[in-house]
Amino acid sequence: MSRSINWAAVAALVLLASADPARVARGQAVGPGFELERSGRYADAASVYLTTIRSDPTNIPALLGLERTLFVLSRTSELLPLVQHARTRQPDSPALRSLELRVYAALNEPDSLEAIALRWAVSAPQSEAPYREWGLALADRRMWDEARRAFLVGRRTLGGDGTLALELAELEQRVGNWEASATEWGRAVTRLPDVEANAASQLADAPAAMHDRVARALTAPVASVRARRLASEVLLTWGQPHEAWAAMEPTLATADTEAPTALRRFADLAGALTTPEGHRVRGLALARWADMMPGSTGGRARAEAVRELLDGGDKVAARRVLEAHSDSNGIAQAALIHLLIADNQLDIAEERLSAPATAITADDRATLRLTLARARVGRGELDRAAAALGDDSSVAAIAQRGWIELYRGKLKNAMEAFRLAGPYALDRAAATDRTAMMALLQRIQQESSPDLGAALLTLARGDSVAAIAALRRSAARLPEQGGRLEVLLIAGQVAAQKGGDQELTAIALFDEVVRTGGEGAAPPAAELEWSRLLVRIGRSAEAIPHLEHLILTYPNSAFVPEARRVLERAKGAIPKS
Amino acid sequence: MKRRDFVTTVGRSVGLTVGARYFDLWPSGRRAVVPSLLIPMDDSQTDHLKAYGLTYKAIQNGLKAEWLLNYRGGSFLIPDLDALRRDAALNGIRTEPVDSAMTAVRGEIEASNMDAVPLEKAPKVAVYAPPNAAPWDDAVTMALQYAGIPFTKIWDPEVMTGSLKDYDWLHLHHEDFTGQYSKFFLIYSGMSWLAEMVQRNSDTAKRLGFQTVPDLKKAVARSIHSYVGSGGFLFAMCTATETIDLALAAHDVDIAATFADGTPLDPDADAKLDWSQAFAFTGGHIETNPLVASFSDIDGHQVNGGARRQPLGAYKLFNFSAKIDPVPTMLVQNHRQVIPDFYGLTTSFNRNRLKPGVTILAEEEGAPWVKYIHGDLGKGTWTFFGGHDPEDPQHQIGDPATDLSLHPHSPGYRLILNNVLFPAAKKKELKT
Repeated sequence: MSRSINWAAVAALVLLASADPARVARGQAVGPGFELERSGRYADAASVYLTTIRSDPTNIPALLGLERTLFVLSRTSELLPLVQHARTRQPDSPALRSLELRVYAALNEPDSLEAIALRWAVSAPQSEAPYREWGLALADRRMWDEARRAFLVGRRTLGGDGTLALELAELEQRVGNWEASATEWGRAVTRLPDVEANAASQLADAPAAMHDRVARALTAPVASVRARRLASEVLLTWGQPHEAWAAMEPTLATADTEAPTALRRFADLAGALTTPEGHRVRGLALARWADMMPGSTGGRARAEAVRELLDGGDKVAARRVLEAHSDSNGIAQAALIHLLIADNQLDIAEERLSAPATAITADDRATLRLTLARARVGRGELDRAAAALGDDSSVAAIAQRGWIELYRGKLKNAMEAFRLAGPYALDRAAATDRTAMMALLQRIQQESSPDLGAALLTLARGDSVAAIAALRRSAARLPEQGGRLEVLLIAGQVAAQKGGDQELTAIALFDEVVRTGGEGAAPPAAELEWSRLLVRIGRSAEAIPHLEHLILTYPNSAFVPEARRVLERAKGAIPKS
Repeated sequence: MKRRDFVTTVGRSVGLTVGARYFDLWPSGRRAVVPSLLIPMDDSQTDHLKAYGLTYKAIQNGLKAEWLLNYRGGSFLIPDLDALRRDAALNGIRTEPVDSAMTAVRGEIEASNMDAVPLEKAPKVAVYAPPNAAPWDDAVTMALQYAGIPFTKIWDPEVMTGSLKDYDWLHLHHEDFTGQYSKFFLIYSGMSWLAEMVQRNSDTAKRLGFQTVPDLKKAVARSIHSYVGSGGFLFAMCTATETIDLALAAHDVDIAATFADGTPLDPDADAKLDWSQAFAFTGGHIETNPLVASFSDIDGHQVNGGARRQPLGAYKLFNFSAKIDPVPTMLVQNHRQVIPDFYGLTTSFNRNRLKPGVTILAEEEGAPWVKYIHGDLGKGTWTFFGGHDPEDPQHQIGDPATDLSLHPHSPGYRLILNNVLFPAAKKKELKT
């Protein structure tokens, strides 16, 4: 924002004035002008300020008021003699010096502006202020090259790589020179660590096309530790956690007092990322931070680090953290068992979970049992999965037993378990899966179907292609209106999710369900899935007749509102979201 | 033919001249009688916005429709054809077959503050918008797309080469006709979309022989003014309302800041403005501060005016006499009478800046501003609606576009679509 219209500064000046009775009088004198200015009556406001100046030539609020109002009225030239007079009376006032520079800039007299700035610099040889105000006055007039030269003259005269770096960084950013801006921000944080938050916030706005250049500028071989940490923060903001950690890690090679703060900030920023890589680098940062923290703080951070590393899929790093710290902490023990399960070392996990003297809480133990049971299912070990649940009577365990019964082909038992578990066990996705499965089981009259159970188990174990074939075989043994269409629909959904070659299979399966038609939700659901698949693979025009057919053929179906939405999107009538 | 060539209503039966394409779709057993479908527009309607598109489609195909003003929220009557039923079903639009019940409906209309207006010719719609996508949405474009009403995008070159005569209805996107890029030039300095906007406008001005962008925009504003005077329908929202009038009033005055045309604005601009050239406003004062994204004191809310900014309230639609004032009645057809307000760079219009004779269609009761206004100019009419997006009260630059499938009953968007169908109406002679 232009400093010439800086209301906050005006307010601050007025407030500062209140400490001194003489200054109170000054503030009161310009008060009406201030109000007139706020209501847009600039000429009237200027008259008030001029009246004040006549009796008090160095009244800075009045002079600043004139700077604002006369600019709007295109009468800035009237201000120059007043400012020169005031500056003569108070030659050491930085506010008056700055104002004088801005007036020359507003009057487009760069030569005079430079002369005045250099004269000020002679009177204050160690100060950055003359060069700063000179450059800013030019920048406010969008005279970028001249402003840059002013700052660089200051840097050369005063010496120091980081001198006026903040001003140059902001200038380069305004011009769109993001790479140069990054270099200057690097110098600025090296000199003044307090500006790092501002630097990161400013550089976060760099256009995507400039990200690489900005990052390179901050991590160049000559870059300081602070500049590299700034790079890591900016990269996190851009959603590049891998590159962010690559910038941060080398700065931790030698201990420094700012490292814990930098790591904690890195971990907090990485917490905003939901990608596996985001979790992974957060885990890495927390693990390093934990090593710097004493006692329980470090232990808690380490446990959190392990969880993050597991969420990020880095089991090796997680295990390394746990093995390096043989905590008796229950959280860490639970994390280690999670890790063992994720690493498919189920027998060891089971052994540790069964050990009588662990510090694991009851809630964590129940969660681990469920996780272990799911992992056993994933290996097709249904009996051991049921055994892992033990005598747990929670709704989550009952729901899990329902799935185990389903995979055994005992459809009636599965249905009863799902009913008993109710709609709220576990999270929303799990509840939706159960409800969908209950809808399928309702259509099937048989109490058991080992074929279907085995097919669904194959699916649960992640072998999609084999599951599709098994589901088709199982469907062929079911009556047309007794579950066959629903099972084919599941096979089609799996094939559509699989993508690639399986898309043709999916289309064939959806086609079969739609052509067969009849009662039940499968035909409209299949047609909707078919359409979604077509839209996804860029064949929207082919999806439109299917969606229209669905809407017109099944007007009371629960799928119609979603079908209309997909139809709108296929036609391009509503924005993509 | 411009829709100004209105003639006296001669009949109210629907669908007597049915488009061949649709005629073919009639079930053979139903040709002897012409039954109708009522599209209710009260709370029973399942998609108010798409109902306009269905009605438009009917008249676009040569069918006749009727707008039943003030009857169940401003319902429509269209021929009961399979093709239209199919479209209604696909789009989730509630329709009700009416045969014998129509006699009672017409009786009720005759006896109440209601009227039936025939809709005959689908207006050709143009949207004045730059070729590139701006980082903000446009309510009218979205409403037209959602309702399925076709339109053509035009911009300065088309306007300056006389293409406006090819259209019945013109909507102005959020253009700043003062040529100051909505006064974002300094605030959003460095943004790529702004740089592109400046470059595109400057190039266009040069190509069309204008020295500056403000000069070009003034010429465009004058062409639009002539278009309305010759019988066109103009609909504008947000910034376009205020700035087109400023551009017209400032035909010989520099009201653009230095960044826009290289010269400071005329210090006596206010005194030199010629409001006789404007559509709606008079006596406005220019906002001279280039850093304040506000144009004048015409706007009541001053969303970017710092301490001058006013909070949002709600605006109320006027209730006109349908039989005496069918035009304003059409423009305010709605299932809601009080609607939450929404900001735009120009949100509302101060009453003391309206020209005498301007019809106020909606206002915030007790406030010094109005929201929705209408007027005649020569053979044409104009309608101004303040604000940016009726379903996104504080739309910010870069915000995602509003998904109208989530707002199918939007009363604010209905007002926009009333304007689109209004030029299709066949005007009756006034009874007074």
